[in-house]
Amino acid sequence: MRRWLVGSGEFVIAIGAIVAVIIVVLTGLALLGHPPLTVLTTWFQGAAGSGTRFALSLQEAGPLLLTGLAAAVAFRGGVWNIGAEGQFLIGAVTMVAFGTVLLIPGPGWFSLPVALVLSTITGAAWALLATGLERWRGVPVVLSTILLNFIAIAVVGMLVQGPLHDPTTTAPQTALLPEHVRLPVLVDGTKLHLGVLVAALIAIALWLGLKRTTIGFEVQVVGLNPDAARLLGMPVGARQVLVMAVSGGLAGFAGAAQVAGVTGMLSGSPISYGYAGIAVAMLGRLHPLGILVAALFLGMLSTGASGLERRLAIPHDLGDVVQGLLVLAVLVAGGISARRALRPQAEGT
Amino acid sequence: MISLNGISKRFGDLVALAEVSLTIAPGRVLGLLGENGAGKSTLMNILFGQLKPDAGSITSGGTALRLRSPAEALRHGLGMVHQHFALVPTLSVVDNVVLALQSSLGRIDRAAWSARLRQRADALRWDIDPTALVGSLAIGQQQRVEILKALLALDQAGSAQRTLILDEPTAVLTPQEVDELLPAVRALAADGVAVVYISHKLAEIARVCDEVSVLRRGRVVHRGPATETTERLTHLMVGSPVSQPSRQACPAPSTAPVRIAARDLTIRSDGRTILHQVTVEVRAGEIVGVAGVEGNGQVPLVQAVLGLLSATSGSVTAPGKIAVIPDDRQREALVMPLSVAQNLALRRYREVPFSQSGWLSPAAWNVHARALMASSDVRAPSPDVAVATLSGGNQQKAVVARELDGDPAVIIAVNPTRGLDVGAAAAVLNRLIAARDRGAAVLLIHSDLDELLAISDRVVVLHNGRVSDSSWPVCDRAAISRLMLSGSPLEPRATGPLNVGAEATS
Amino acid sequence: MNDALIVVIAAQAVTAAVPLVLAGIGETLAQRAGVLNVGIEGLLLTGCVAGFTGAALSGCAWSGLAAAIVVGALLAALFAWVTVVMRCDQIVAGMAINLLAVGGSGTAWLVAQGHGYAELSANAGFSRGIVPGLSDTAQAWLRDLPFIGPLVFDQYGLALATALIAATAWWVLTRTRIGVIIHALGDAPDACAANGIAVRRWRVGLVIFAGALAGAAGAYLSIMRTHGFSPLMTGGMGFVVLALVIFGRWHIGGLVAACLGFGVIDALQSHLQSRGLNAVIPYQVFQALPFIVALIALAVMRRGTSGPRLLGQAWPTER
Repeated sequence: MRRWLVGSGEFVIAIGAIVAVIIVVLTGLALLGHPPLTVLTTWFQGAAGSGTRFALSLQEAGPLLLTGLAAAVAFRGGVWNIGAEGQFLIGAVTMVAFGTVLLIPGPGWFSLPVALVLSTITGAAWALLATGLERWRGVPVVLSTILLNFIAIAVVGMLVQGPLHDPTTTAPQTALLPEHVRLPVLVDGTKLHLGVLVAALIAIALWLGLKRTTIGFEVQVVGLNPDAARLLGMPVGARQVLVMAVSGGLAGFAGAAQVAGVTGMLSGSPISYGYAGIAVAMLGRLHPLGILVAALFLGMLSTGASGLERRLAIPHDLGDVVQGLLVLAVLVAGGISARRALRPQAEGT
Repeated sequence: MISLNGISKRFGDLVALAEVSLTIAPGRVLGLLGENGAGKSTLMNILFGQLKPDAGSITSGGTALRLRSPAEALRHGLGMVHQHFALVPTLSVVDNVVLALQSSLGRIDRAAWSARLRQRADALRWDIDPTALVGSLAIGQQQRVEILKALLALDQAGSAQRTLILDEPTAVLTPQEVDELLPAVRALAADGVAVVYISHKLAEIARVCDEVSVLRRGRVVHRGPATETTERLTHLMVGSPVSQPSRQACPAPSTAPVRIAARDLTIRSDGRTILHQVTVEVRAGEIVGVAGVEGNGQVPLVQAVLGLLSATSGSVTAPGKIAVIPDDRQREALVMPLSVAQNLALRRYREVPFSQSGWLSPAAWNVHARALMASSDVRAPSPDVAVATLSGGNQQKAVVARELDGDPAVIIAVNPTRGLDVGAAAAVLNRLIAARDRGAAVLLIHSDLDELLAISDRVVVLHNGRVSDSSWPVCDRAAISRLMLSGSPLEPRATGPLNVGAEATS
Repeated sequence: MNDALIVVIAAQAVTAAVPLVLAGIGETLAQRAGVLNVGIEGLLLTGCVAGFTGAALSGCAWSGLAAAIVVGALLAALFAWVTVVMRCDQIVAGMAINLLAVGGSGTAWLVAQGHGYAELSANAGFSRGIVPGLSDTAQAWLRDLPFIGPLVFDQYGLALATALIAATAWWVLTRTRIGVIIHALGDAPDACAANGIAVRRWRVGLVIFAGALAGAAGAYLSIMRTHGFSPLMTGGMGFVVLALVIFGRWHIGGLVAACLGFGVIDALQSHLQSRGLNAVIPYQVFQALPFIVALIALAVMRRGTSGPRLLGQAWPTER
């Protein structure tokens, strides 16, 4: 973790890793009988071949951006939050709850933001469970957040089939959110919703926060060297709690926005943006603006992949493989570069 | 008789060794004297097969030796005890020996190894429990384990001629442990082992060595019997007199305000008493030195003063703002990937002009950094490079610069000259004295007893978490030494039949 | 006697515990040497799909097992290269392995289905109670032995192998120099290097070994317990193993006890489900039960010595 934040070669590392992985994947597909040029053009058409397709890519980028930011904020602060998957679901189910059953009084411009905020809070709370377990019982956060993911899936499943279930159907899904608590669509004919724009604004805000505020500076120091931070009088515990709350909140907001903007309800089918967020964060070198670009790239990767599946019968699970390879490539490239940049002078100079 | 002939070694532009020639005779103790960076360790690493020389040769009784690895060195009867122990604290003594010495990966016969250990230990009149966890042993005991390991390794290698290299063996020992080690070294020599004793401590060299070779900047500048005067040897080692801090010790008058006060401070953890009714006071305008071997409560005391460790009983009063020069700069004082400017701002980033109502002003950081770097001789290409790229000495200077910036009223310094050469170390100590002259209260914890005594006004000794019941006059080094190990200032029991003539003072 | 509830539960506990112990041994050894592999879930899943694919394609269960072991070792080798040789962050690399495994196994499954290998043929899967070389009547007699019959002999062959591996691992860790080295690698790698031990080579070897074991554990799931594969069929078991390794305090004995205890809970809950408890309690509770149990176990364990001191840190550390 210490080695991710060095120098301005970060952009080069990310690009280099992407290129390397693309070459590997195209080679693999070529060996299986898919010519590279066809793969690339089909992919591009699927990702950005038309306005609608690009809007779909942006729409996919939205939750990836938020979970990416969630992971990055946590990792920067030295906290291993691998629980975005569960925090996402908790936020989503909260949105459904306050949108369908526990109705918030008032017009849409009031109840929608309130519901979103509540979902952010429950996402943060789910994350803070892990912090509490570490503080009071010494349970490592990396493991508890993962276990809580699975517990969240079960909790949400129970709610979807129980109190939140849509009475008009037998399918395992919740009632639809009424119109006034849905996120407005930005471009007619697509599902590109306001939440994506808000996510981009959040990225910019986080960038400014980390770079230019005292709290942001403290977060970075706590993440890079908590022992020194403690000796320097920084509120280490408080910053770690803050970071976890923000991280969980971002993931919860992502879930709520996905429900309020795209699906309109929660169903039994699995959604997975949480683990992908780690890939987005790594590709973006833990920098909010880099993550913005990385989320767009991975969003395009996803929509392009479904294009590949439709046209060339290449399973879209390949997208997960690419994500995994990207993370490994970025890790290795980043490690090499950081080691070179941080080499000390000889003594006596 | 092992000879090093014309050994030379460069690391890039740096000449570490230039045509060094030495003779190591069996049954004699050769002292290798020189300050940090003179080339002693490099030379011994070459002898022990861990480095290859650029030029020169090593011969044994006339035949050339090719030492390409420590294993080969062992086969030729060359054993080394390094300055930093190669021990695993969570394993027992015998398991550590097995780790190092057993050639097969298979079954361990712990009983046989324990027997071999005890045999060697008994020969030196040492008391070793093979089943004890190394981490629970005192440093002096750990060193004995290392020496026994080296001797057993030589046994295993089966060479007729045995040579043992001791690299700064007394760096972490109490004066009493030193008194126990030196006779053992002579006993080894009497047993026919050729011993190379590397140190920068003149007094010990005089006590235990037969011959001395002085290294300075990679060259042998002197060779002769060990009876030279300390002054001459210092001059040879260092070249030109360095302004060693030396002044009259002068404790603050009792009218000066007390800045740090620990009263009957007791800290218990995991059933062990780490500090027991410790009472220490530091007033404005004095330097209080805490003497004691690492692990006797220094770290908990500092943590308690800083508010990081809570007292089980008793009290600690200290101001909120304390400048701290910690022991491990990379872990406790610096953030390695951040820039020099950012590291230098770590104390004051909340003040104007570094930030304003929560927003940072990076331009001010840069200005501040350049000023500090200039005044404290911190050498780096620019304030924006990562502090990890600085040399250890420059890093330490940066820490000192940052902490002493702004004339803090209370300072805690732990081993502040670690890693610094003589000139830079003197500069740091002088800065502490200057701070004291300006009225600061300084709590100094230092493992180098000489430096500690040179600048402290009062000395307090920590032993097993207890403090001597009054401060000792700085000049009574003997009493302080005894307190450090036994907790009692009284004369120790005789060290045994291997007692060497000289007294336990220096 | 072998119909008694306690015997049935005990036997089922052993069956459930086997893959946990197998994967757990590997992870324990790797963690003792200082490498934290959260990608164990991915390795299990890979073993599942590789075992299944190998068995389906060849029609022979042993090939499936071999394929699972080899593929598991290879994937672990990739992880070892990234974390030990290139010294990159272990947790992120482990999650990347999980991503790779999910994607890879999903793809492999679809490809296999596409080629018609949806299920295993009759002898492409292992059956219970097979001890190689014995006649059918002898095996039936062994299975009917009171108490030890169901517990020991009515298990899959891999169960016996697992017990042997566990015993061997315990012996190696406590009685041989290999064990001393493994212990030292996680607590003081610098000291190891100073004593001439190739720290990275050992760590890579142990991680690959752990990958092989995890692969075998995965195969156990797809070509023994069930004779099929479905995407994500490991369902988080790897993460439970991580918790069990900690709960067992990085000792083989502790691990086995923890896994057996977990197996008992697993057996009890499936027993209760079949007795109709699922009418009262929603099935998601049972789904989440392993993770709740793991979390509770971690929370209540006494905070004693906390494992290998340098767990998760690359070596050599930059200074």
